[in-house]
Amino acid sequence: MEASFVTHLRSSPPRASFSGFERFFREEYPAVVRIAFGVVGDAQAAQDVAQDVFISAFKRFPEPAESDHARAWVRAAAAHTALNAIRGERRRDRRQRSAAIEVPAAGPEETVLDAESRTEVRRALSRLPRKAAAVLVLRHNGLSYAEVAEALNVKVGHVGTMLRRAESALRKELQNAPRI
Amino acid sequence: MHHVSSPVLRRLMDEPLAVPDLARRHVADCGRCQAQSTEIAWDAELASRTLGAPGDLADIDLEWILLQDRLTSTGAARRPAARPRGRIPRRLAGVSLGAGTAVLAGVLAVGAAAAAVLTTVYAPTQVAPVRVSANDLREIENITGIGRLPGTLQPTGSMRLSFGDLTWSTASRPQQVSSLASASAMTHLAFPAPATLPSGVGSISSIEVQPRVTVTLRFSQNAGAAVAGSTLEITVGPAIAVQYGGTAGRGNVTTLAIAAARRPVASSTGATASQLEAFVLSRPGLPAGLAQEIRLLGNPAAVLPVPVPSGLSELQENIGGAPAVLVTDPNGYASAVIWEGHDGVVHAVGGLLDREDIVNVARQIG
Repeated sequence: MEASFVTHLRSSPPRASFSGFERFFREEYPAVVRIAFGVVGDAQAAQDVAQDVFISAFKRFPEPAESDHARAWVRAAAAHTALNAIRGERRRDRRQRSAAIEVPAAGPEETVLDAESRTEVRRALSRLPRKAAAVLVLRHNGLSYAEVAEALNVKVGHVGTMLRRAESALRKELQNAPRI
Repeated sequence: MHHVSSPVLRRLMDEPLAVPDLARRHVADCGRCQAQSTEIAWDAELASRTLGAPGDLADIDLEWILLQDRLTSTGAARRPAARPRGRIPRRLAGVSLGAGTAVLAGVLAVGAAAAAVLTTVYAPTQVAPVRVSANDLREIENITGIGRLPGTLQPTGSMRLSFGDLTWSTASRPQQVSSLASASAMTHLAFPAPATLPSGVGSISSIEVQPRVTVTLRFSQNAGAAVAGSTLEITVGPAIAVQYGGTAGRGNVTTLAIAAARRPVASSTGATASQLEAFVLSRPGLPAGLAQEIRLLGNPAAVLPVPVPSGLSELQENIGGAPAVLVTDPNGYASAVIWEGHDGVVHAVGGLLDREDIVNVARQIG
């Protein structure tokens, strides 16, 4: 009886299967969440971005193994979704300042410094051209030039140019940020 | 040759083999290009420092659970509250249970309930105390049929429950080994022995290895249309348990025990999370307090319940940055602390020691 039960288990098709997508998720999630973190600077927010990216990816590529573009798509989507998040944050900041809403202070001094540094980086990124910000976070979170090129749909030879300009622009944006 | 352009100098830092030999040789001999390279390197280092991410950003098992919850429409609305926020989740306050073997049955029952709320995977990231009493345990035994299990389980076996078939299998029986190195090699679990032991604790008296156990529950037609035919598979272990003897005439008394186990993980091949949760909550005889607390728990995918028998006191602790449950007897003769490390390994330290000694040992491990 036990053998037939096990056989039955193995032959029963799942009623709701994400098995094809799960492998893709497990392979790509670490890169996606790292890219998101590079922009938003907070693990929790990065996880939220990654979740949104994979929800969209599932709608677009329910069987990602059958697509040549799924991998590049989620990485680019991670950068763009995270950049959208911090641009929304920038708009909220402006609204808060105009409404004179006091932002609550953080706890220990070290945390405050870290948080302020992260805020400065996010503000700097949000002021860069979108593609420049994307090339920065993709390259500085482990993607090769070829992978960056694929994710942003540009030629590999252009990545160096974009990256150099973006890094220079980031440095200029951060020059007035003493904590960085 | 002309000077090398800044994009090429930039790529030379990252992917030198992609840059032509001619350009590389030029840079090696050109002070101007080298100076520009230095400036480019500064910018690149600044970007890397400000935009790079730490290695361990998320628990991928848990994230997969959360994603599936959202992909199945019913889970979408619950997700924002489901993610653990680095604190001990709301404890199951209304549950009670006795001692001894009751605790094991309690773990299985509550753990199965927790696992059953998942769509495909249960992968707890932290522990939480569960108050249990003998009366509620009897009710749980009646519901699950766990009370009919023999005291010593065979490596493989099966039994029929009122709502499905339960099977379990393991590669072998638990076995004694002669060294911690052997135990680690067999289980692939790191086992850092404490460097300093409390007064009265002697040398290691026993090292036992428990292979991984896989428990499978296939819901029958009696379980209701929503979950009938679904299969829930729970994997527990492997685990290492180390016992220490006493000193000065107490050599044969176990004064301290330390255990490490891979966290339990569950997967479901059929019913959705909400269907499984509804099944668990609809069991006749389920104590009302437990049912309410399961509802209040939100998504217990991230929680490993630690049963605390009535009569013992429980405190929240922190071991190595992870929330821990510290249990002590009213007289302070014995204590235990349980936590899950960031590597997904559940640790337990307990013995005939007061809570300060137990926590000191735990902090050497965690």
